[in-house]
Amino acid sequence: MKIAVFPPNSLILADMVERRGHEPLVIQKEIRKKVTDPEIDSPPFNITEEEPIKGLKYAAIEVPSGVRGRMAIFGPIIDEAEAAIIMEDAPYGFGCIGCARTNELSMYFLRKRGIPVLEIHYPETREETMEVVNRINTFLDALEKPDESGEDGKTDEPQEAETKEQVEE
Amino acid sequence: MSPQNDKVTRMFVLGPKAQLSQSELVGKLHMLELPLTIKSTCYGAVIHGEEKDVLEAVNRIRKLDPSNIFTKDRGFPPGDPRRCRAKRGAAREGFHQLEKEYELLEYVCDALENPEKVSLEEPGKVTPEDFKKIAQECEK
Repeated sequence: MKIAVFPPNSLILADMVERRGHEPLVIQKEIRKKVTDPEIDSPPFNITEEEPIKGLKYAAIEVPSGVRGRMAIFGPIIDEAEAAIIMEDAPYGFGCIGCARTNELSMYFLRKRGIPVLEIHYPETREETMEVVNRINTFLDALEKPDESGEDGKTDEPQEAETKEQVEE
Repeated sequence: MSPQNDKVTRMFVLGPKAQLSQSELVGKLHMLELPLTIKSTCYGAVIHGEEKDVLEAVNRIRKLDPSNIFTKDRGFPPGDPRRCRAKRGAAREGFHQLEKEYELLEYVCDALENPEKVSLEEPGKVTPEDFKKIAQECEK
């Protein structure tokens, strides 16, 4: 399944999702389309006047163009998601820096979609981290796998690695 | 030049308990003999190439130390002047996030090596009647 993660550039969340054989929807994939596009409209990011217009699908015209421009990038992730993991209270510097409203709007849309959503808080201690990882793994195991071929037992790491490989093949 | 559109970039981040060093990781990546651009970094390595080659490298490298090697996508190619520290100075965008997440990787590794089943249901509220019963039982 395609799983949206929030913060959308989190290493831990994206890695957890991939380990369980799902596809993480991360912001880097959307950014890559912009920065490696040969049609350079306005370097360095290729964000043009088109983006705030695309963002109108998600936010009203009164909303600042910065939010709408960002939503044009977040939007495809939200639309594509079949499940989501939202990690709240992440430290400053995670996700969309400098735009808390975009973060709030993105989380709102993910919750509103009616897809399975796991809500967790950013862990600070060892116990919290272990709890969060176990919760993520339990949530991901309960979701439908994109490829259910062959035997699957995912109780420890080597078996997970095999499952991952099968999925990628 | 080949088109860059179909190429992807991946970051390998080694956890604190990793059984291999950054230089060993880069050596292993070279030994795979895949057509990849490989860059050694302080946290691990960055690879860039065709998606199938990158995914193959990810699968094979993960097997070296499954619970201590973490990967994530990266939007900009390695050494891109818009992001590379060598060109613009100061920390790369995203580095501070990576630094913060790195602090948790040790615990993530512990959790991956010792998985436990947990319930995702939020604990429900106790009704006043139930609470009274519990209180009465405690008084006995």
